[in-house]
Amino acid sequence: MRLGVVFTGVFLILGGLFTVSALGYAGGALVEGLVQEKLGISGGGHLVQIVLMMLVMVMVIATLLTLAERKWSAFMQDRTGPNRARIGLPIIKDMALAGLPHIATDVVKMLTKEAFRPASANRFLFALAPMLAFAPAFALFLIVPSGPTLTITLPAAVGGYTSTVMMSPTNPDSGLLMLFAIASLAVYGTSLAGWSSNNKFALLGGVRASSQMVSYEVALGLSLVGMMAAFSTVRLAGDDGMAAMQAKYLWSFRAGGFDIGLPQWGIFLQPIGFLLFFAAAFAETKRAPFDSPEGESEIVGYFLEYSGMQFGLFMISEFVEVVVLSGVLAAIFFGGWSLPFGNEWLTNLQVMKDFPILLGAVFGTIFWVKVVLLCYLQLVIRWTFPRFRYDQIQTLGWKILLPLGLVNLFVSTALILWDPSLKALAIAGLLEIVAIAMLTLTPPRQVRREQAEAEHHGGHGHDDHATPAPALSAGHSGH
Amino acid sequence: MASHDAHYDPTPSEDELEAHLQTRNMVVNLGPSHPATHGTVRLRIELDGETIVKMDPEIGFLHRGFQKSCENVTWTQVLPYTDRLDYVASLTNNFGYLTAVEELMGVKIPERAQYIRVIGAELHRIASHLTTIGAAGLELGGFSAFLYAIEARELITDRVTELTGARLTTSYGRIGGLNRDLPAGWEEKVLKSLIKIEEHLDETDKLLTRNRIFTDRMRGTGVITTEDALDFGFTGPCVRANGVNYDVRKARPYWVYDRLDFSVPLGNNGDNFDRYYLRVLEIHQSLKMIRQAFKDLPAGPVMVDDWRIALPPKEDVYNSIEGVIAHFKLVMEGVPVPVGEIYHATESANGELGWYLKSDGSGRPYKCHVRAPGFQILSGLARMCEGRMLADLIPTFDTINMIGGEVEQ
Repeated sequence: MRLGVVFTGVFLILGGLFTVSALGYAGGALVEGLVQEKLGISGGGHLVQIVLMMLVMVMVIATLLTLAERKWSAFMQDRTGPNRARIGLPIIKDMALAGLPHIATDVVKMLTKEAFRPASANRFLFALAPMLAFAPAFALFLIVPSGPTLTITLPAAVGGYTSTVMMSPTNPDSGLLMLFAIASLAVYGTSLAGWSSNNKFALLGGVRASSQMVSYEVALGLSLVGMMAAFSTVRLAGDDGMAAMQAKYLWSFRAGGFDIGLPQWGIFLQPIGFLLFFAAAFAETKRAPFDSPEGESEIVGYFLEYSGMQFGLFMISEFVEVVVLSGVLAAIFFGGWSLPFGNEWLTNLQVMKDFPILLGAVFGTIFWVKVVLLCYLQLVIRWTFPRFRYDQIQTLGWKILLPLGLVNLFVSTALILWDPSLKALAIAGLLEIVAIAMLTLTPPRQVRREQAEAEHHGGHGHDDHATPAPALSAGHSGH
Repeated sequence: MASHDAHYDPTPSEDELEAHLQTRNMVVNLGPSHPATHGTVRLRIELDGETIVKMDPEIGFLHRGFQKSCENVTWTQVLPYTDRLDYVASLTNNFGYLTAVEELMGVKIPERAQYIRVIGAELHRIASHLTTIGAAGLELGGFSAFLYAIEARELITDRVTELTGARLTTSYGRIGGLNRDLPAGWEEKVLKSLIKIEEHLDETDKLLTRNRIFTDRMRGTGVITTEDALDFGFTGPCVRANGVNYDVRKARPYWVYDRLDFSVPLGNNGDNFDRYYLRVLEIHQSLKMIRQAFKDLPAGPVMVDDWRIALPPKEDVYNSIEGVIAHFKLVMEGVPVPVGEIYHATESANGELGWYLKSDGSGRPYKCHVRAPGFQILSGLARMCEGRMLADLIPTFDTINMIGGEVEQ
């Protein structure tokens, strides 16, 4: 029964991803063809991706994440999670539906609550801040490709256009630079929210947020320069973009038409770059362990005075950021839409050649599955780690991430210059992965010390003195 | 804020542009209703940026008039009030109060009752420490660690419910022993629970102690010097974190603590990490003690055989005149505590829980004062936090484990 539910859920999710990807290709081809024919300009297909990928996929995944976060954290913490809300329809009125109705109840609650504004708040900036926080998070997805560029021929019934479909909302030449530009806009929303509320706690939160986000911009940019140098491009989408380049192999052999090998995924070429980018981008999303601007147990957060959907915008922008960050990570470091093996085999299948939409939909599904898995990784981190202190965040950013990024950049570019086929870079990357894994698996100093002590005198704990208390009590207990 | 200042002149002169930016300290109220103040305490904090310049804890939001209430009821009826002192570890209060009264009366309770008191007190010490550890994790953002700890505490609460009939307000024990013996099969259940608790504790411990972020936030924060700690009158884990080996259980053993094999963990830095980790180690010691106590638990009565102190069995109340009289006098007049006064201390989860009791022989306390360990420790909070960052206040406030109920009485 339970397994059945799980399989149905997985099947539904995969089916949904597959359908939307297929729709993206079909719609893209149609609109591209139409625009080409009527207006004579190319690139109309991007409109479909803006609607489908940004508004539908990112928004839906972010909305589901609000529930997923509560459910997944509940599973991590031996709880059941939300399961109380019901839909009052005949068959399902007594079913929890895995907590899905809670999404609706949350939304209804947010929308119907009063959007309270403190009397002393700055009216204009107070209203502007949630929008400024939400929009950049959302716009970050603009350059992320969610599938390969394919040439699609539509059947004659729907116009019979033959057009090239690029699966990214836009593909500017500036590529990743645009990502950095938009990402740095997000700080306005949070700092304005903190400042315009005219609340001391909110102000503290806003100041923390702006300092954190501004200082992490540097590490964020630096961590990706290695990847840019490796592929000599700043674009993600397109045939010469990072995502497409990663589908190629460093070393490969074929086993009866099936290709196996080590692909040029960013994680193999730039493991340190990946860690740095992940940490810096995590800090940009302002989620634990970098949630000191929110710090609900200390200063409650920069959105302290917001209620209703204005608060909802801050919350949902956090989830959108999670999805977008997963998308960017998947596109830059995890091979975009490609599988680690068998890409060529899949592309060369006869059925795929006959129906390129099918091929695109399969690759699109692979991409979105990677996005969901990365979202899960982020949630696990968020629910495992405690929060940094404000100055520790700065220390981490300036004293650890930045120098590491510089060293990584230097070593990487030197290796790329020495061996443009990237093989040397990959070997260095694999060695780095092994080193990081060994560092992680080695018990920390304290544990080693405790183990050594346990072997010596069989006790536990490092402060464990079995001495009786001296007569210190007499002085102040007066008895 | 500056923009609201009546004297603020918006047109800067040349000098003003070159002068240093005029800043003013910001005063914020943490509490009385704030996520980090688990009880209701108001911390008036003067901030220079993120640094605490001055701090002023203000208590009294949970004041219930404990002392005055005690003076109006019989010695036995004080017991429910003691539940509400340290509501996280009510058994230690119950037994602490009862032991002080028994000392005042010169009554020696049966050995079995003493063992059961050790078991109960240690169970609730574990519960209190687990709450502190978990809350420290929670307030630093590690919600999972909190829930693991609370799940372990829930096991203790269940066992305590089976023993006393209540989850929090236990009111267990009576002057002269205990009002009821252990329930059948309870020992096995507790021993089983202890194994589970150890597992949960290990999980929590790994999640927090092995976490670099957590240790970075705990180490070197909320430091107090040994002299300061002693001057303020710190006791319990807070003073042992400074390496002062003072534990009432060892210094002036009561019940059967002198027969149990346990050690007192000590720290040496007096910072949040030591206070936190000490509690982890103390839980291990308490687990050890409970197991020993169960092993050595003798058979026999749990109440003194003296009808002036203990309620007679119902059989005798209904069938004999002596029983009726004893029952009547106990209920109407209370336990006859002789004229005298006493200070007696037991080790509660947070430190030395002292009772200053004075009897005028009337059957009701003439004076009942509690030296709650949290009060002295809270008074030292400003010393630990001033000059440090606002974010450091949170773990410090956690590891001193102020319980509103006992501090504000």
